[in-house]
Amino acid sequence: MLSQDENLWYKDAVIYQLHVRTFCDSNGDGVGDFRGLTSKLDYLQELGINAIWLLPFFPSPLRDDGYDIADYTSVHPAYGSLQDFKDFLAAAHNRRIRVITEMVVNHTSDQHPWFQEARSSRENPKRDWYVWSDTDSRYQGVRIIFVDTEMSNWAWDPVSKSYYWHRFFSHQPDLNYDNPAVREAIWEVMKFWLDIGVDGFRLDAVPYLIERDGTSCENLPETHEIIRDLRRRIDAAYAGKMLLAEANQRPADVRSYFGNGDEFHMAFHFPLMPRMFLAVKLEDRKPIIEILDQTPQIPDTCQWCIFLRNHDELTLETVTDIERDYMYDEYAVDKAMRINLGIRRRLAPMMENDRRRVELLTGLLLSMPGTPIIYYGDEIGMGDNVYLGDRNGVRTPMQWNGGWNAGFSSADPERLYSPLISNPVYGYQAINVDSQRRSAHSLLSWTKSVIQTRNAFHVFSRGSIEFLNPSNHRVLAYVRCLGEEKVLVVNNLSSSAQAVELNLQAYKKHIPIEMFGRNLFPRIGDPPYLLTLGPYQFYWFRLRRI
Amino acid sequence: MAEESFLADDFLRQLMSVGEVDLLVGVPTYNNASTLGQTLYSVEETLRHNFVRQRAVILNVDGGSADETRQLFLQSGEGRDANHNKGLTSLRTTHRISCEYGKAPSQGLALHNIVAAADLLRAKACAVISPTTTNLTPSWVVNLLRPVYSESLDFVAPLYARTRFQGLLVRDLLYPMSRAIFGQRIREIYCEEWGFSGRLASQCLEKDVWREEAVRARPEAWMAITAISVGLKCGQSFLGPKIAPPTGTDIVEIIRQTVGNFFWCMEANQAQWLSHSNSQPVPTFGPDHELSLDGIPPSQEKIFELFRSGVSELEPILGSILSQDTHAQIKAIARSDRSQFHFLTELWVKTLYEFAASYHHAVLNRDHLVQALVPLYRGRLCSILLERADSSADAMETQSEAVCKEFERQKPYLVERWTVNR
Repeated sequence: MLSQDENLWYKDAVIYQLHVRTFCDSNGDGVGDFRGLTSKLDYLQELGINAIWLLPFFPSPLRDDGYDIADYTSVHPAYGSLQDFKDFLAAAHNRRIRVITEMVVNHTSDQHPWFQEARSSRENPKRDWYVWSDTDSRYQGVRIIFVDTEMSNWAWDPVSKSYYWHRFFSHQPDLNYDNPAVREAIWEVMKFWLDIGVDGFRLDAVPYLIERDGTSCENLPETHEIIRDLRRRIDAAYAGKMLLAEANQRPADVRSYFGNGDEFHMAFHFPLMPRMFLAVKLEDRKPIIEILDQTPQIPDTCQWCIFLRNHDELTLETVTDIERDYMYDEYAVDKAMRINLGIRRRLAPMMENDRRRVELLTGLLLSMPGTPIIYYGDEIGMGDNVYLGDRNGVRTPMQWNGGWNAGFSSADPERLYSPLISNPVYGYQAINVDSQRRSAHSLLSWTKSVIQTRNAFHVFSRGSIEFLNPSNHRVLAYVRCLGEEKVLVVNNLSSSAQAVELNLQAYKKHIPIEMFGRNLFPRIGDPPYLLTLGPYQFYWFRLRRI
Repeated sequence: MAEESFLADDFLRQLMSVGEVDLLVGVPTYNNASTLGQTLYSVEETLRHNFVRQRAVILNVDGGSADETRQLFLQSGEGRDANHNKGLTSLRTTHRISCEYGKAPSQGLALHNIVAAADLLRAKACAVISPTTTNLTPSWVVNLLRPVYSESLDFVAPLYARTRFQGLLVRDLLYPMSRAIFGQRIREIYCEEWGFSGRLASQCLEKDVWREEAVRARPEAWMAITAISVGLKCGQSFLGPKIAPPTGTDIVEIIRQTVGNFFWCMEANQAQWLSHSNSQPVPTFGPDHELSLDGIPPSQEKIFELFRSGVSELEPILGSILSQDTHAQIKAIARSDRSQFHFLTELWVKTLYEFAASYHHAVLNRDHLVQALVPLYRGRLCSILLERADSSADAMETQSEAVCKEFERQKPYLVERWTVNR
């Protein structure tokens, strides 16, 4: 049995997000699989991450990268067998790496047997497992999420001659959570994976579970009741397992998904992510401070999940129109880089391959309050291919070396599930794990080092944060505190050298010790503490009173 | 021994914190706590709605206010954004910084600090806004900044809507004379609100003239003339009517400041204007003038008496400034009956040019010389009031244009008197 503190493992986690398809192909069919992933666990352990978030790996027609699930309790044959998954899970656990899987609870694929039965006749017992209507005028005014592809949240089913509700693609009918049988079925699915040993679930598209007339059909009270029920069941039988909410909403709305510590353990802080990019482009801390000021307190056992990039577009749903236009103009000049309300690019290309900016953003990610998620390939600065359609440009094969298919697969290149990145700047010949392993100064080596530093101090994962407000707005500075452990973080968001005076009176007589080089800096005294920082430079200081 | 900087250490520290900016709005103050709120509101609204992406600083330069003007300036700012603007905020921090340049108000010292800040912060577009203007709106600030930021102008003068009896000194002396001398048709180089580029700020900062009385009194006109003289692009932008409480400054002081400044600028830039003739229009944003028939004319009787007595009392001085012929003509019209009185444009222009030349040749103390112009201006003013009392707005504008042409026509006479060896 885990101790109370060990149950909070997700607070101290550094999560690595990947799709099994993208990581390593063990059988030469051009698609990554669980055996391949298992063979790369040493790499992930070496990187310093301690949790893996797997994107959907279930049987699926793959019309939405696996988020259209056709069978919840099996593994897509392209990725291996259920036994392969179990072997992977055991190998990960042997390395003290936990595994979080996707739980796409809002909808299924239209190929799922449940839906096939439901559409077969209006009298079918599973008919009421989905949301049907004879007209497409119910729930008028509810926003369409995939504005680039969908015209309505209703789709016509020619088989049963009625409309079904879908908040995402029309081939993803929403489950009807007003039906207790649906809730039981989803719980059975969760139990299936929990019994196998997964450590947590990322629940996809949580705000949309329930529909009600006259509402936005998002964040409804009944949704919270469903979550609380799932949480009660997990806590009762599976202590130490974690629920992570995907709710792309503003922090005040997401806050409700923590409940009183009785709903989700973690939730993504979506609005922070674009604002980190904004802050670096604007060279001004204002966007970050503003959004964190608007971020409510959460229960002690809960934690925000923060990230820079992921498998989706860099969502701009939670920024203002002015901010969105600016982000587009600065980070997505080419219209091909834009999709829905976001930008389909990876970290390094967005930073114009500027190592200093990549490091600054990674440093922010790892030093701000919350559990950080690193998207596969960003640790080596992988590029993207915005011409691949949908969001596939950020889902290309992992670049292991400069050889055949980047070391990802022994298949003929034409057979790969996706073309490799092969341009001279970001191509696998230039950017790959093997070459970066050989250099102590590579981005990979740096990333390992900074993760190692973070992991060594719980103050980063559990500490409070106090923003300093130096008059130089190009500098973002804060102090993280956990008991006697104190860390001062100072970030220069600008492309030019900056001087900053910090009011550190509360830490008078402390000695700042730079955490990467372990060098002593002058003791903090009465006058404002003067620091100079090079372009995009950041410092992490331990504040010690000796 | 190292030369002392006029920039206070605290001000420099604030500038360091701001860093490079795109826009700088300078607000010179002296006991303006009662009206500063509206000024800042207009400036912030401008930045929020029109320059959301630009890096901006609002700079207060204060002449030692005793009414907490500076404290008021430094209050609020970012908090105000969140509370008052329904989600519409500028992307970046709008910096507010303030410095006290002395314990007494000085337009020159205020501008010196503003241009130094503009230069150090590498501002692209700047505006100076007067907190005494009670009807300032965000459009004013936009109209001054945008031509600089978007159209690459270096100096943007304001254009105000006037009633027919407002701005007579400008319409009958300062504008036509500056247009004729410096060749650019900028109506209001003497102003309290204007825009300028960082490029011009840097040029001005390099000039070693900031201690000159003429520059300290009316630095904006010197800045405009500097822009013209070094070949930078100038323009003007319509702002609308200006409402400001009376300054209490009398006509003697106004003429000392404006005409004295202008003559000084002529002297300082003679290499530029002596060889030029004619004038060119400048880029103008909005109407180039707006004159209404409102307003009550000042008492002509008193003005006329002051003219007449001035001509009499200053006869020796005027004799040393003016040519015999001009002096004789002035004495003659001073003897005429008020109902028959005419101070003709031709004589007025000739008089001014002779004053300018005498200023150049320093025939007597320059300040006394400029003051001697006051009764003559009163005479000209009385003549205008008599002649144009019933004119339409269009007719008045036509008459003003005729004055401008006369200044340009007689410019060779000025050059001749200016360059003659005495």
